[in-house]
Amino acid sequence: MAKKPSKRINVIRCPVCEAVNVDHGGAILCHRCDSHIYREPKHGIGRTWALLLTAMILYIPANLYPVLNINNIIDGHSGNTIMGGVILLWDQGSYPIAVIILMASVFVPILKFVLLLYLLISVRHPVSESKALRHKLYYLTEVIGPWSMVDVFVVSILTGLVKFDSFKILAGPGATAFVLMVFFTMMTALSFDPRLIREYPRKPSQKKEKNR
Amino acid sequence: MEDPIKEEAELDQLVICPKCNTLYQKVPLPSGKCALCTQCGTILYRYDPSYLDRALSLAITGLILFVVANLFPLIRIDLLGNEQHMNIVESIRQLIENGYYIVAIGVLFMALIIPGMVLANYIVLIVLMRLGIGEALTRELLVLLSHLMPWSMVDIFLVSILVALVKLTGEVQIHFGVSFWALILYVGIDTYLTKARRIGTLWELRQRIYHG
Ligand SMILES: [Zn+2]
Repeated sequence: MAKKPSKRINVIRCPVCEAVNVDHGGAILCHRCDSHIYREPKHGIGRTWALLLTAMILYIPANLYPVLNINNIIDGHSGNTIMGGVILLWDQGSYPIAVIILMASVFVPILKFVLLLYLLISVRHPVSESKALRHKLYYLTEVIGPWSMVDVFVVSILTGLVKFDSFKILAGPGATAFVLMVFFTMMTALSFDPRLIREYPRKPSQKKEKNR
Repeated sequence: MEDPIKEEAELDQLVICPKCNTLYQKVPLPSGKCALCTQCGTILYRYDPSYLDRALSLAITGLILFVVANLFPLIRIDLLGNEQHMNIVESIRQLIENGYYIVAIGVLFMALIIPGMVLANYIVLIVLMRLGIGEALTRELLVLLSHLMPWSMVDIFLVSILVALVKLTGEVQIHFGVSFWALILYVGIDTYLTKARRIGTLWELRQRIYHG
């Protein structure tokens, strides 16, 4: 059974080493790993906004341009956008794979944009009372975020593998935009200030742990 | 203001749930047990004294498997008697040859350099901790590990191989190389070391080793 914390304190979790630190309100240096948990108020969220907008703009060419070019001696040349690839897989009857690609390449980035936008807006204009919800959303973006790389890796694998004289698969410009989009989306999530989504524990003493 | 040393010791007795941000006071656990968050069921921390030895042998095995996975072909395909094969290095080489430098850099870092660095970092870290030397260096290594881990995506690369093969079904004959099985085992080990175990566990072990 858990003991009660000796007194009510404002604490924040270090995103680097997971140590609990006291939040005095100013700049915080983690007591365990010396990382900057929070620099100064003026550091603000401008950088996070810039990264997010860059990622969102890159999402447009990532979807408009082909991520994949197929050179086949019989069928000739054809380019595949992400949605085109999904539709092709669906027509071939590979429903689970079509759904995976659709989720990883289309829904995950959009969900991440929406979540990050929501988090950034709710910092200034609290939309919802629940900071616990914000925390769960943020955690979700961290876990699912990297999976949007699936399509880029698929393209790279096919480029490395299918290089016959009569049948070649090459990457397309959409793949470049897509890699950059994933990079900037991850940078946005990583630059997100943990204090912006922190929740002051109201009654920590009432929580108990169970052992397994 | 309280005595900072005493305050730090008190803070180290607290833990915040990574998923829902609930604050807990740690309780001593029997060996091999873990504490769960009562709100969301996430593992908060565990007491696992034999972890270092197990992690060291796993990390060394993982490094050998990772080298094997990159030395030999992962997949071979056959089209009317013509054979082609690929692995991660070959994919990067083809991307560069076709002028897709940014995609190539993305794959190079996320599927090759950073995963390799994570393993090497892990091995050096655990050897130092096992010998009880290099306290300052282990802190640097643990911080570096936290920054590297989000960018290590070999697990996603492995799933992408399967997706790529589905796209090729019916067009070519597919053979799995020895590297493919090495990569699967490597991903299993990597997932155990970096995802199933929290980085906070290593920080707590470090605290116990260098400060009793
Ligand atoms: Zn820290």
